Amino acid sequence: MLNTFQQADHPVLPKATADEAARQEFAKSLKGFIQSTLLPGLDPVYRTRARPRFENETGRSANDRRDIRDAMVGDTYFQHYAATNRIAQELLWESVAGSVSRQLPELIETARTLSARSPARLDIPDGFVPPRYVTALDIHCMPGGYCSEVCEDDISVGALYDRGVYLYSMGYTGPNNDDMGRSVCNYIRRNFPDFRPRRILDMGCTVGHSTVPYAEMFPDAEIWGIDLGGPCVRYAHARSAGMGHPINFAQMNAEETSFPDGHFDLVVSHILLHETSGKAMPRIFAEAHRVLAPEGLMIHADLPPFDLMDPFTQFILDNETWYNNEPFWGAMRDMDQIALAERAGFDRASVRFDTAPMAVMEFAGAQKGYSEDAAGSVADREFTAGEFAPGGGWEVLIARKGAAKALAA
Amino acid sequence: MDRPEMIRTARGKRPQFYDTPGLDEAMGMIMVLASEISTLRDRIDAGERVARAAGIDLAAGIEALELDEAALAEREERRQDFLRRLYYLQIKDAEDARERQTAKGYVDTIAEIAQT
Repeated sequence: MLNTFQQADHPVLPKATADEAARQEFAKSLKGFIQSTLLPGLDPVYRTRARPRFENETGRSANDRRDIRDAMVGDTYFQHYAATNRIAQELLWESVAGSVSRQLPELIETARTLSARSPARLDIPDGFVPPRYVTALDIHCMPGGYCSEVCEDDISVGALYDRGVYLYSMGYTGPNNDDMGRSVCNYIRRNFPDFRPRRILDMGCTVGHSTVPYAEMFPDAEIWGIDLGGPCVRYAHARSAGMGHPINFAQMNAEETSFPDGHFDLVVSHILLHETSGKAMPRIFAEAHRVLAPEGLMIHADLPPFDLMDPFTQFILDNETWYNNEPFWGAMRDMDQIALAERAGFDRASVRFDTAPMAVMEFAGAQKGYSEDAAGSVADREFTAGEFAPGGGWEVLIARKGAAKALAA
Repeated sequence: MDRPEMIRTARGKRPQFYDTPGLDEAMGMIMVLASEISTLRDRIDAGERVARAAGIDLAAGIEALELDEAALAEREERRQDFLRRLYYLQIKDAEDARERQTAKGYVDTIAEIAQT
């Protein structure tokens, strides 16, 4: 199926010239090509030559993802696969960075105007220091990371992320990059039909891709998106206002927010946890528990733990750790998230993993490039390690805080 | 006032994929060229379609075109920008060296960040 998905425009989205658009399309096409055509070759290469070579050289079988990695890194096919994947990532960011750079002052002005008109709050504290796990390396090789500012009122890495992530996900997360939030919203609607949160917190929201669907689904709720990146929340605030869903955003650390105890009925995150750290993750769970009201829900949509997968799948996924500046990607999948939630104060019986089916079919026929066939081919895939987005749906970790009576007892 | 410059490389030592020195850089350059060829092909395609819709014989016009000083400068600027993108890995390599980003530093960061 040819991927013709196109991102939906909004007032603060960087506009591309014809050549910029063509470079961006090439990066998206290259990623698609790697996943459809190069990725499937890894399995036969491993079975027919890398594994036998490993067994000959070591006198034992390859037991885990580390052994498989040792067996594969010297193989030319793997080298071309991994190198091309890395280069595609670099071309992707560069194709967007050049475009954003050309129009940055104008984008900043647009964002300023939209934010000034928005009734929603934008809190950016003076002297905020982001933690090392987002500044030591530029995560997923995005130049500047989430927090770099190159001028006053900068939104550049927010704009870079918005357009870059669309290309990274090849449009699989919908014309507004919001499939994760939309999928979790649908999940809530199906599984908790009477749930009406008064206040919602989206932790690690970046530019608010997944935050906006909550505003659509719960129009009466007070919604906050928080992120470590100042340029990200600035962009998010302007973007949400420009899309007609003004939402409150703040530069804040999910490990230690400034919200009062019991403030929210729903605390969510989307692809946040794997970009934190071994020390931060338990603190984020504890903070979610603290700010939740009795019977409130915590839902984290992220990557499934490694213990659910075979070693070869683990090996392919762990390439992100080694080649895409994702230092916590592998280690996070080794953590016992259910035990973490329990230690944070959630009742063990209320904690579980589940799957939230992708919402991409909702766009079929409604947005440019999202034909029934193209959207269906994304939604109906089997899970394949190394492809963007698990076929079948997003993995969600759900926990419910105890009732007030139980807490008082 | 100068227009702000965006950051164009990602912090963190870049891994090497090939055993042959220089091949990683060569592969990057080849793929940038591939991107540019694809971009040009799209542009030519667009030009032909637009012209056809307007009833213009584009091919004859291209052959007859004379470049003035401004056109020459525009083309040179575009070529220099193209070359900077073509040599992005060598530029990144020098930046890693300048910032003392090393493979060991990367491994140490993974271990440090995973600590519970």
